[in-house]
Amino acid sequence: MDLLFQFLSNTGYYLADYRNVIMIVVGSVFLYLGTAKKYEPLLLVPIGFGILVGNIPFFKGFGLGIYENNSVLHYLYFGVTTGLYPSIVFLGLGAMTDFSSLLARPSLMLLGAAAQMGIFFTLLGALALGFLPKEAASIAIIGGADGPTSIFLTAKLAPHLIGPIAIAAYSYMALIPVIQPPIMRLLTSRKERLIRMPELRDVSKKERIIFPAVGVILCCFLAPASIPLLGTFFFGNFLKECGVADRLAQTARTSIIDTATILLGLTVGASTQGDVFLTPKSVAIFLLGAVAFSIATASGVIFAKIMNLFLKEKINPLLGAAGVSAVPGSAREVHLVGQSEDPENFLLMHAMACNSSGVIGSAICAGILWSFMIVL
Amino acid sequence: MYGFTAISTHNGWAMAIAGALIVFAGLLILATAISQLHKILMLLEKKHPDSKSNQNIPENDDPENQEDKPVSPLPKEFPTDLNEIACLYKPLIDETGDTFYLSDLYEIARKNDFPHPHITFTAFRESEILVPCGDGVFSWNPPTENEDNVNG
Repeated sequence: MDLLFQFLSNTGYYLADYRNVIMIVVGSVFLYLGTAKKYEPLLLVPIGFGILVGNIPFFKGFGLGIYENNSVLHYLYFGVTTGLYPSIVFLGLGAMTDFSSLLARPSLMLLGAAAQMGIFFTLLGALALGFLPKEAASIAIIGGADGPTSIFLTAKLAPHLIGPIAIAAYSYMALIPVIQPPIMRLLTSRKERLIRMPELRDVSKKERIIFPAVGVILCCFLAPASIPLLGTFFFGNFLKECGVADRLAQTARTSIIDTATILLGLTVGASTQGDVFLTPKSVAIFLLGAVAFSIATASGVIFAKIMNLFLKEKINPLLGAAGVSAVPGSAREVHLVGQSEDPENFLLMHAMACNSSGVIGSAICAGILWSFMIVL
Repeated sequence: MYGFTAISTHNGWAMAIAGALIVFAGLLILATAISQLHKILMLLEKKHPDSKSNQNIPENDDPENQEDKPVSPLPKEFPTDLNEIACLYKPLIDETGDTFYLSDLYEIARKNDFPHPHITFTAFRESEILVPCGDGVFSWNPPTENEDNVNG
């Protein structure tokens, strides 16, 4: 009988507390959004399931939890805390990205820079709310709307905040169809949304091959701390474009990125144990994340309108919203908002140019913030 | 510590302004570099007209491609009606044969300056003008035949 009582007192039913239950509900919402609503399912499904796994109550000291040194989940979490998974994800991302539209219209790269303003506004906001500089920098990077970059920088600067920051970053990436369109419509007139973009010129293979080499040199010389992200990103792109390593490029953009995404999503989800996740700080991070993402979208759109003051051939200011680095979600949203006004208006390729420059921009920002914090 | 005091104490203003300027400068330099890239390549190719690499850049000016284009002259105003677009695509289909890979058709359409071929293909597939035969191979089902099938 004692054995039975002892067993029962070690079950999750007995050990559960309200925080685990709240997080299990959150995980279930993620799974619902990913599967039923198809909001970024490749991210929300592993994270949502990870939240369920991470919030099953267990007897401490068995080596089961993600924060216990000898657990399997802890070993898998190593890839997050060292910044390994984000680098691998960037390798695959590079092998998937086609920079043709960016090479055809390099001026759109400025919109990718403008959308990073959300990061720096949020840095100020987080400092004002009482976060320490390293925490503030980690929260601010959510404004880049780039999950792997957010995780990478947080792992380096404020590892105790990885859970809430990763969940906030991925949540807002998944909620692009909800967050971005109202901001785009609010800041643009119908006339502006109807602006059509000219056909892009053909880009030669040579340009596409040279770009990753030029990109990695110029960006990483400026912000060497972004080497782990941009180094692999441009390397992946070089594999894709050089034409002599198709097998490697194919593996990078399929098996490798998929494996890293599964492990990243699952472990980040599992890191949200109710007792360490549900704190006032996490709530503040979520609020700041929403502000960061909204400001990033608005900055891109406003900067596009400013560019139009000086350009003879106007650009559609909706493209500015694609300057955040949520690839390809925000580009798709820009295209859809453009088409809702004029079904014959095809903004997708131009939006992808802004989107891919947003990826580069947010990785540079991560490098810059990391460098700033080294001297603190 | 909170508010503006916290920002000032932690050097927040300087970090935000310097960070924003650095990222702008970085992407501006990259944009400027890549905007000159094709011009530099063209210059290099003019200097070395016999170089082997000259033959494949840029794709549109490739002399080998010249014989491919144009298969069909495009009207000044590209039609919006799907059936009319399908008629313009007919000469391209004649070139590919009865069954073909979508990528081949895409390549020919692009060489002939057809606007937005990928979007057109999606519309063709939805209206069953392009019929999948499996293994990535497609066949052409012209709109008139399509209507006959529907009507019986």
